[in-house]
Amino acid sequence: MSPSELITLIIGIALTVMIFSYILGDRLFFGIATHLLIGVSAGFLALVVIQKIILPYLITPLTYETGTGFFLALVPLTLSILLVLMLFRSGTQAGSIPLAFLGGALAALAIIGVTRGTLAPQILSTIGRFAPEQLMHETEPQWSAILEALMILLGVIAVLFVFHHQGQSKAGDVVKPVFLEGIGSIGQIFIGLTFGALFVGLFSSALIALISSLSEIIDFITLWF
Amino acid sequence: MKRPLPLIVGVLSGLVVLAAMFFVPQGGSILATVLNWVIIVAGVALLVAIASLVLTHLRFIAKGKKGFLLSLVLVISFLATLIFGLLRGVDDPVFLEWVGAVIRPIETALLGLVALVMMSAALKIFRERGWSALTVSFGVSAIIFLILGLGFLQNLNFPALNEVITFVEGLPMIGARGLLIGIGIGLLMMAFRVLFGMEGSGND
Repeated sequence: MSPSELITLIIGIALTVMIFSYILGDRLFFGIATHLLIGVSAGFLALVVIQKIILPYLITPLTYETGTGFFLALVPLTLSILLVLMLFRSGTQAGSIPLAFLGGALAALAIIGVTRGTLAPQILSTIGRFAPEQLMHETEPQWSAILEALMILLGVIAVLFVFHHQGQSKAGDVVKPVFLEGIGSIGQIFIGLTFGALFVGLFSSALIALISSLSEIIDFITLWF
Repeated sequence: MKRPLPLIVGVLSGLVVLAAMFFVPQGGSILATVLNWVIIVAGVALLVAIASLVLTHLRFIAKGKKGFLLSLVLVISFLATLIFGLLRGVDDPVFLEWVGAVIRPIETALLGLVALVMMSAALKIFRERGWSALTVSFGVSAIIFLILGLGFLQNLNFPALNEVITFVEGLPMIGARGLLIGIGIGLLMMAFRVLFGMEGSGND
Protein backbone atom coordinates (compact mmCIF):
# COMPACT_ATOMS: atom_id res chain seq x y z
CA MET A 1 0.00 0.00 0.00
CA SER A 2 1.50 3.37 -1.08
CA PRO A 3 1.64 6.28 1.44
CA SER A 4 -1.04 8.27 -0.45
CA GLU A 5 -3.35 5.21 -0.48
CA LEU A 6 -2.79 4.77 3.27
CA ILE A 7 -3.58 8.43 3.94
CA THR A 8 -6.79 8.34 1.88
CA LEU A 9 -7.79 5.12 3.68
CA ILE A 10 -7.22 6.71 7.11
CA ILE A 11 -9.14 9.85 6.05
CA GLY A 12 -12.00 7.68 4.78
CA ILE A 13 -12.19 5.63 7.99
CA ALA A 14 -12.03 8.74 10.19
CA LEU A 15 -14.82 10.43 8.23
CA THR A 16 -16.99 7.27 8.32
CA VAL A 17 -16.56 7.00 12.11
CA MET A 18 -17.41 10.72 12.45
CA ILE A 19 -20.65 10.22 10.52
CA PHE A 20 -21.61 7.10 12.52
CA SER A 21 -20.96 8.99 15.79
CA TYR A 22 -24.42 10.50 15.11
CA ILE A 23 -25.95 7.18 16.26
CA LEU A 24 -24.31 7.68 19.68
CA GLY A 25 -25.87 11.14 19.94
CA ASP A 26 -22.72 13.11 19.04
CA ARG A 27 -23.29 16.32 17.06
CA LEU A 28 -19.79 17.88 16.92
CA PHE A 29 -17.93 15.25 14.87
CA PHE A 30 -20.99 14.61 12.71
CA GLY A 31 -21.23 18.39 12.13
CA ILE A 32 -17.54 18.63 11.21
CA ALA A 33 -17.89 15.80 8.66
CA THR A 34 -21.05 17.24 7.06
CA HIS A 35 -19.61 20.78 6.93
CA LEU A 36 -16.47 19.32 5.34
CA LEU A 37 -18.67 17.63 2.73
CA ILE A 38 -20.52 20.91 2.05
CA GLY A 39 -17.26 22.90 1.80
CA VAL A 40 -15.50 20.47 -0.53
CA SER A 41 -18.62 19.96 -2.70
CA ALA A 42 -19.20 23.73 -2.95
CA GLY A 43 -15.54 24.31 -3.87
CA PHE A 44 -15.62 21.55 -6.49
CA LEU A 45 -18.93 22.82 -7.93
CA ALA A 46 -17.62 26.40 -8.13
CA LEU A 47 -14.51 25.16 -9.88
CA VAL A 48 -16.48 23.12 -12.45
CA VAL A 49 -18.79 26.09 -13.16
CA ILE A 50 -15.83 28.48 -13.58
CA GLN A 51 -13.70 26.19 -15.76
CA LYS A 52 -16.41 24.45 -17.79
CA ILE A 53 -19.07 27.19 -18.19
CA ILE A 54 -17.93 30.72 -17.33
CA LEU A 55 -14.50 30.66 -19.00
CA PRO A 56 -15.43 28.97 -22.32
CA TYR A 57 -18.96 30.36 -22.82
CA LEU A 58 -18.75 33.85 -21.27
CA ILE A 59 -15.14 35.06 -21.03
CA THR A 60 -13.65 33.57 -24.24
CA PRO A 61 -16.28 35.17 -26.59
CA LEU A 62 -15.60 38.55 -24.92
CA THR A 63 -11.98 38.34 -26.08
CA TYR A 64 -13.11 38.37 -29.74
CA GLU A 65 -12.47 41.88 -30.96
CA THR A 66 -15.55 42.15 -33.20
CA GLY A 67 -18.27 39.94 -34.61
CA THR A 68 -21.62 38.61 -33.42
CA GLY A 69 -19.99 36.33 -30.80
CA PHE A 70 -18.76 39.37 -28.87
CA PHE A 71 -22.13 41.17 -28.95
CA LEU A 72 -24.10 38.02 -28.11
CA ALA A 73 -21.86 37.51 -25.06
CA LEU A 74 -22.77 40.99 -23.77
CA VAL A 75 -26.34 39.84 -22.93
CA PRO A 76 -25.36 37.05 -20.48
CA LEU A 77 -22.59 39.34 -19.14
CA THR A 78 -25.16 42.03 -18.25
CA LEU A 79 -27.49 39.44 -16.69
CA SER A 80 -24.55 37.96 -14.74
CA ILE A 81 -23.52 41.39 -13.39
CA LEU A 82 -27.12 41.98 -12.25
CA LEU A 83 -27.06 38.58 -10.51
CA VAL A 84 -23.76 39.35 -8.75
CA LEU A 85 -25.31 42.61 -7.48
CA MET A 86 -27.70 40.41 -5.45
CA LEU A 87 -24.81 39.75 -3.05
CA PHE A 88 -25.06 43.39 -1.92
CA ARG A 89 -28.05 44.63 0.03
CA SER A 90 -28.72 47.54 -2.35
CA GLY A 91 -28.67 45.32 -5.45
CA THR A 92 -31.26 42.72 -4.41
CA GLN A 93 -33.93 44.19 -6.74
CA ALA A 94 -31.59 44.03 -9.78
CA GLY A 95 -31.31 40.25 -9.48
CA SER A 96 -35.01 39.76 -10.24
CA ILE A 97 -34.42 40.43 -13.97
CA PRO A 98 -31.93 37.56 -14.61
CA LEU A 99 -33.97 35.31 -12.32
CA ALA A 100 -37.12 36.12 -14.33
CA PHE A 101 -35.22 35.33 -17.55
CA LEU A 102 -34.10 32.01 -16.07
CA GLY A 103 -37.59 31.22 -14.71
CA GLY A 104 -39.32 31.95 -18.03
CA ALA A 105 -36.86 29.91 -20.13
CA LEU A 106 -36.89 26.98 -17.68
CA ALA A 107 -40.72 27.03 -17.56
CA ALA A 108 -40.82 26.78 -21.37
CA LEU A 109 -38.30 23.91 -21.29
CA ALA A 110 -40.38 22.21 -18.57
CA ILE A 111 -43.53 22.45 -20.73
CA ILE A 112 -41.80 20.73 -23.66
CA GLY A 113 -39.94 18.24 -21.44
CA VAL A 114 -42.99 17.20 -19.40
CA THR A 115 -45.34 16.84 -22.38
CA ARG A 116 -42.86 14.97 -24.60
CA GLY A 117 -40.91 13.10 -21.93
CA THR A 118 -43.51 12.20 -19.29
CA LEU A 119 -47.16 12.82 -20.16
CA ALA A 120 -47.22 11.60 -23.77
CA PRO A 121 -45.23 8.35 -23.21
CA GLN A 122 -47.13 7.45 -20.02
CA ILE A 123 -50.59 8.11 -21.49
CA LEU A 124 -49.70 6.39 -24.77
CA SER A 125 -48.37 3.28 -23.03
CA THR A 126 -51.55 3.10 -20.88
CA ILE A 127 -53.80 3.39 -23.96
CA GLY A 128 -51.46 1.23 -26.06
CA ARG A 129 -52.52 -1.80 -23.98
CA PHE A 130 -55.90 -1.64 -25.73
CA ALA A 131 -54.40 -2.02 -29.22
CA PRO A 132 -56.19 -4.90 -31.04
CA GLU A 133 -52.93 -6.77 -31.68
CA GLN A 134 -52.31 -6.86 -27.91
CA LEU A 135 -55.83 -8.00 -26.97
CA MET A 136 -56.47 -10.55 -29.75
CA HIS A 137 -54.55 -13.65 -30.71
CA GLU A 138 -55.63 -14.44 -34.29
CA THR A 139 -59.44 -14.30 -33.79
CA GLU A 140 -59.50 -15.31 -30.10
CA PRO A 141 -59.71 -12.59 -27.43
CA GLN A 142 -56.85 -12.70 -24.88
CA TRP A 143 -58.85 -12.34 -21.66
CA SER A 144 -55.80 -12.04 -19.40
CA ALA A 145 -54.42 -9.19 -21.55
CA ILE A 146 -57.85 -7.48 -21.59
CA LEU A 147 -58.14 -7.73 -17.79
CA GLU A 148 -54.58 -6.45 -17.32
CA ALA A 149 -55.19 -3.49 -19.65
CA LEU A 150 -58.44 -2.63 -17.81
CA MET A 151 -56.75 -2.94 -14.42
CA ILE A 152 -53.89 -0.63 -15.46
CA LEU A 153 -56.33 1.96 -16.86
CA LEU A 154 -58.55 1.86 -13.75
CA GLY A 155 -55.48 1.97 -11.48
CA VAL A 156 -54.09 5.05 -13.23
CA ILE A 157 -57.50 6.79 -13.12
CA ALA A 158 -57.89 5.86 -9.42
CA VAL A 159 -54.43 7.31 -8.59
CA LEU A 160 -55.36 10.53 -10.43
CA PHE A 161 -58.56 10.67 -8.34
CA VAL A 162 -56.39 10.71 -5.19
CA PHE A 163 -54.78 13.97 -6.43
CA HIS A 164 -58.23 15.43 -7.21
CA HIS A 165 -59.59 14.24 -3.86
CA GLN A 166 -56.69 15.84 -1.91
CA GLY A 167 -57.00 19.09 -3.84
CA GLN A 168 -60.66 19.35 -2.84
CA SER A 169 -59.95 18.42 0.80
CA LYS A 170 -57.52 21.34 1.06
CA ALA A 171 -60.09 23.73 -0.41
CA GLY A 172 -62.58 23.11 2.42
CA ASP A 173 -65.23 20.76 3.71
CA VAL A 174 -66.72 19.47 0.49
CA VAL A 175 -69.11 16.53 0.71
CA LYS A 176 -67.88 13.94 -1.77
CA PRO A 177 -70.00 11.16 -3.28
CA VAL A 178 -69.32 7.67 -1.87
CA PHE A 179 -68.14 6.28 -5.21
CA LEU A 180 -65.47 9.02 -5.45
CA GLU A 181 -64.26 8.09 -1.95
CA GLY A 182 -64.12 4.44 -3.09
CA ILE A 183 -62.11 5.23 -6.23
CA GLY A 184 -59.78 7.41 -4.12
CA SER A 185 -59.20 4.50 -1.70
CA ILE A 186 -58.34 2.18 -4.61
CA GLY A 187 -55.90 4.83 -5.84
CA GLN A 188 -54.36 4.98 -2.36
CA ILE A 189 -53.80 1.20 -2.48
CA PHE A 190 -51.90 1.52 -5.79
CA ILE A 191 -49.85 4.45 -4.44
CA GLY A 192 -49.06 2.43 -1.30
CA LEU A 193 -47.90 -0.52 -3.43
CA THR A 194 -45.61 1.77 -5.45
CA PHE A 195 -44.18 3.48 -2.37
CA GLY A 196 -43.62 0.08 -0.72
CA ALA A 197 -41.61 -1.18 -3.71
CA LEU A 198 -39.65 2.10 -3.90
CA PHE A 199 -38.99 1.93 -0.17
CA VAL A 200 -37.53 -1.58 -0.48
CA GLY A 201 -35.27 -0.51 -3.37
CA LEU A 202 -33.97 2.51 -1.47
CA PHE A 203 -33.67 0.58 1.80
CA SER A 204 -31.64 -2.18 0.09
CA SER A 205 -29.20 0.38 -1.39
CA ALA A 206 -28.82 2.13 1.97
CA LEU A 207 -28.30 -1.20 3.73
CA ILE A 208 -25.57 -2.17 1.24
CA ALA A 209 -23.87 1.21 1.89
CA LEU A 210 -24.11 0.63 5.66
CA ILE A 211 -22.60 -2.86 5.37
CA SER A 212 -19.83 -1.58 3.07
CA SER A 213 -18.93 1.26 5.49
CA LEU A 214 -18.92 -1.06 8.51
CA SER A 215 -16.85 -3.73 6.71
CA GLU A 216 -14.29 -1.04 5.74
CA ILE A 217 -13.89 -0.10 9.41
CA ILE A 218 -13.56 -3.78 10.41
CA ASP A 219 -10.98 -4.41 7.63
CA PHE A 220 -8.97 -1.39 8.82
CA ILE A 221 -8.99 -2.61 12.44
CA THR A 222 -7.92 -6.15 11.44
CA LEU A 223 -5.14 -4.65 9.29
CA TRP A 224 -3.47 -3.16 12.37
CA PHE A 225 -4.43 -5.56 15.17
CA MET B 1 -47.90 43.71 -6.87
CA LYS B 2 -45.84 42.70 -9.91
CA ARG B 3 -43.00 44.78 -11.29
CA PRO B 4 -43.28 45.12 -15.10
CA LEU B 5 -39.65 44.67 -16.25
CA PRO B 6 -38.92 41.22 -14.69
CA LEU B 7 -42.40 40.10 -15.76
CA ILE B 8 -41.79 41.15 -19.39
CA VAL B 9 -38.30 39.56 -19.42
CA GLY B 10 -39.65 36.27 -17.97
CA VAL B 11 -42.64 36.02 -20.33
CA LEU B 12 -40.55 36.99 -23.37
CA SER B 13 -37.75 34.50 -22.65
CA GLY B 14 -40.29 31.71 -22.12
CA LEU B 15 -42.25 32.51 -25.28
CA VAL B 16 -39.07 32.77 -27.38
CA VAL B 17 -37.86 29.33 -26.17
CA LEU B 18 -41.32 27.83 -26.73
CA ALA B 19 -41.62 29.32 -30.23
CA ALA B 20 -38.08 28.26 -31.17
CA MET B 21 -38.85 24.71 -30.08
CA PHE B 22 -42.02 24.52 -32.16
CA PHE B 23 -40.34 25.87 -35.32
CA VAL B 24 -37.21 23.73 -35.08
CA PRO B 25 -35.32 24.27 -38.39
CA GLN B 26 -35.95 28.04 -38.48
CA GLY B 27 -35.62 28.70 -34.76
CA GLY B 28 -32.68 26.35 -34.19
CA SER B 29 -29.98 29.04 -33.99
CA ILE B 30 -32.14 31.30 -31.75
CA LEU B 31 -32.84 28.36 -29.43
CA ALA B 32 -29.13 27.48 -29.25
CA THR B 33 -28.23 31.11 -28.38
CA VAL B 34 -30.94 31.46 -25.72
CA LEU B 35 -30.06 28.05 -24.18
CA ASN B 36 -26.41 29.16 -24.12
CA TRP B 37 -27.44 32.27 -22.17
CA VAL B 38 -29.59 30.11 -19.83
CA ILE B 39 -26.58 27.85 -19.10
CA ILE B 40 -24.33 30.86 -18.36
CA VAL B 41 -26.90 32.66 -16.16
CA ALA B 42 -27.70 29.39 -14.30
CA GLY B 43 -23.95 28.86 -13.74
CA VAL B 44 -23.51 32.41 -12.43
CA ALA B 45 -26.62 31.97 -10.21
CA LEU B 46 -24.99 28.85 -8.75
CA LEU B 47 -21.74 30.78 -8.12
CA VAL B 48 -23.71 33.60 -6.45
CA ALA B 49 -25.46 31.03 -4.22
CA ILE B 50 -22.11 29.48 -3.23
CA ALA B 51 -20.61 32.94 -2.58
CA SER B 52 -23.62 33.81 -0.42
CA LEU B 53 -23.15 30.58 1.58
CA VAL B 54 -19.44 31.27 2.17
CA LEU B 55 -20.09 34.94 3.07
CA THR B 56 -22.75 33.89 5.62
CA HIS B 57 -20.30 31.50 7.28
CA LEU B 58 -17.53 34.15 7.21
CA ARG B 59 -19.95 36.48 9.04
CA PHE B 60 -20.58 33.70 11.65
CA ILE B 61 -16.80 33.39 12.18
CA ALA B 62 -16.30 37.17 12.44
CA LYS B 63 -19.08 37.48 15.03
CA GLY B 64 -17.87 34.36 16.90
CA LYS B 65 -21.37 32.89 16.81
CA LYS B 66 -22.12 29.55 18.53
CA GLY B 67 -20.90 26.75 16.23
CA PHE B 68 -18.40 29.00 14.41
CA LEU B 69 -15.93 26.06 14.45
CA LEU B 70 -18.17 24.28 11.92
CA SER B 71 -18.25 27.45 9.79
CA LEU B 72 -14.45 27.50 9.94
CA VAL B 73 -14.31 23.88 8.70
CA LEU B 74 -16.65 24.77 5.81
CA VAL B 75 -14.74 27.89 4.74
CA ILE B 76 -11.28 26.26 4.99
CA SER B 77 -12.39 23.15 3.07
CA PHE B 78 -14.07 25.35 0.42
CA LEU B 79 -10.98 27.53 -0.07
CA ALA B 80 -8.58 24.56 -0.03
CA THR B 81 -10.60 22.76 -2.73
CA LEU B 82 -10.95 25.91 -4.84
CA ILE B 83 -7.25 26.88 -4.65
CA PHE B 84 -6.01 23.30 -5.15
CA GLY B 85 -8.36 22.91 -8.13
CA LEU B 86 -7.39 26.25 -9.70
CA LEU B 87 -3.71 25.31 -9.45
CA ARG B 88 -4.06 21.73 -10.77
CA GLY B 89 -7.15 22.01 -13.00
CA VAL B 90 -10.52 20.38 -12.47
CA ASP B 91 -9.64 17.29 -14.55
CA ASP B 92 -6.36 16.59 -12.74
CA PRO B 93 -6.38 12.93 -11.47
CA VAL B 94 -4.57 13.78 -8.20
CA PHE B 95 -7.10 16.54 -7.44
CA LEU B 96 -10.04 14.26 -8.27
CA GLU B 97 -8.56 11.48 -6.09
CA TRP B 98 -8.32 13.79 -3.06
CA VAL B 99 -11.80 15.25 -3.57
CA GLY B 100 -13.14 11.68 -3.91
CA ALA B 101 -11.26 10.59 -0.78
CA VAL B 102 -13.28 13.14 1.23
CA ILE B 103 -16.65 13.04 -0.51
CA ARG B 104 -17.01 9.27 -1.13
CA PRO B 105 -16.73 7.93 2.47
CA ILE B 106 -18.98 10.69 3.87
CA GLU B 107 -21.66 10.05 1.24
CA THR B 108 -21.50 6.27 1.70
CA ALA B 109 -21.72 6.60 5.50
CA LEU B 110 -24.62 9.06 5.18
CA LEU B 111 -26.43 6.60 2.89
CA GLY B 112 -25.81 3.92 5.54
CA LEU B 113 -27.38 6.20 8.16
CA VAL B 114 -30.36 6.60 5.84
CA ALA B 115 -31.02 2.82 6.22
CA LEU B 116 -31.45 3.28 9.98
CA VAL B 117 -33.55 6.45 9.59
CA MET B 118 -35.78 4.75 6.98
CA MET B 119 -36.40 1.82 9.31
CA SER B 120 -37.63 4.08 12.11
CA ALA B 121 -39.60 6.25 9.64
CA ALA B 122 -41.38 3.18 8.23
CA LEU B 123 -42.54 2.22 11.74
CA LYS B 124 -43.47 5.84 12.53
CA ILE B 125 -45.79 6.08 9.52
CA PHE B 126 -48.22 3.59 11.12
CA ARG B 127 -48.14 5.48 14.44
CA GLU B 128 -48.63 8.91 12.83
CA ARG B 129 -51.17 8.08 10.08
CA GLY B 130 -52.91 5.05 11.59
CA TRP B 131 -54.30 2.13 9.58
CA SER B 132 -55.54 3.34 6.20
CA ALA B 133 -55.63 1.94 2.65
CA LEU B 134 -52.35 3.77 1.96
CA THR B 135 -50.41 2.61 5.03
CA VAL B 136 -51.62 -1.02 4.90
CA SER B 137 -50.82 -1.38 1.18
CA PHE B 138 -47.45 0.29 1.81
CA GLY B 139 -46.59 -2.17 4.59
CA VAL B 140 -47.80 -5.24 2.67
CA SER B 141 -45.95 -4.14 -0.48
CA ALA B 142 -42.72 -3.48 1.48
CA ILE B 143 -42.83 -6.96 3.07
CA ILE B 144 -43.66 -8.69 -0.25
CA PHE B 145 -40.89 -6.88 -2.15
CA LEU B 146 -38.39 -7.52 0.64
CA ILE B 147 -39.15 -11.26 0.34
CA LEU B 148 -39.03 -11.13 -3.48
CA GLY B 149 -35.73 -9.24 -3.27
CA LEU B 150 -34.16 -12.23 -1.52
CA GLY B 151 -34.65 -14.24 -4.73
CA PHE B 152 -35.64 -17.37 -2.78
CA LEU B 153 -39.12 -17.73 -4.31
CA GLN B 154 -37.80 -17.23 -7.85
CA ASN B 155 -35.34 -20.08 -7.33
CA LEU B 156 -38.11 -22.59 -6.48
CA ASN B 157 -38.84 -22.80 -10.23
CA PHE B 158 -42.61 -23.28 -10.06
CA PRO B 159 -44.02 -21.94 -13.36
CA ALA B 160 -47.33 -20.90 -11.73
CA LEU B 161 -45.51 -19.12 -8.91
CA ASN B 162 -43.22 -17.36 -11.38
CA GLU B 163 -46.28 -16.05 -13.22
CA VAL B 164 -47.71 -14.69 -9.96
CA ILE B 165 -44.35 -13.07 -9.13
CA THR B 166 -44.21 -11.40 -12.57
CA PHE B 167 -47.76 -10.09 -12.06
CA VAL B 168 -46.97 -8.78 -8.54
CA GLU B 169 -43.74 -7.14 -9.75
CA GLY B 170 -45.76 -5.22 -12.37
CA LEU B 171 -48.27 -3.80 -9.85
CA PRO B 172 -46.12 -0.85 -8.62
CA MET B 173 -45.88 0.33 -12.25
CA ILE B 174 -49.61 1.18 -12.20
CA GLY B 175 -49.23 3.53 -9.22
CA ALA B 176 -45.98 4.94 -10.62
CA ARG B 177 -47.69 5.67 -13.94
CA GLY B 178 -50.58 7.44 -12.21
CA LEU B 179 -48.18 9.41 -10.01
CA LEU B 180 -46.04 10.42 -13.01
CA ILE B 181 -49.09 11.62 -14.97
CA GLY B 182 -50.39 13.52 -11.90
CA ILE B 183 -47.00 15.14 -11.22
CA GLY B 184 -46.60 15.91 -14.94
CA ILE B 185 -49.97 17.70 -15.07
CA GLY B 186 -49.08 19.62 -11.89
CA LEU B 187 -45.71 20.65 -13.34
CA LEU B 188 -47.34 21.71 -16.59
CA MET B 189 -49.84 23.91 -14.73
CA MET B 190 -47.03 25.50 -12.69
CA ALA B 191 -44.91 26.10 -15.82
CA PHE B 192 -47.85 27.83 -17.57
CA ARG B 193 -48.44 29.98 -14.45
CA VAL B 194 -44.76 31.05 -14.51
CA LEU B 195 -44.89 31.64 -18.26
CA PHE B 196 -47.94 33.89 -18.03
CA GLY B 197 -46.56 35.86 -15.11
CA MET B 198 -48.97 34.53 -12.48
CA GLU B 199 -46.14 33.00 -10.43
CA GLY B 200 -42.42 33.68 -9.93
CA SER B 201 -39.93 36.50 -9.79
CA GLY B 202 -42.21 39.22 -11.13
CA ASN B 203 -43.72 39.43 -7.64
CA ASP B 204 -42.61 42.01 -5.12
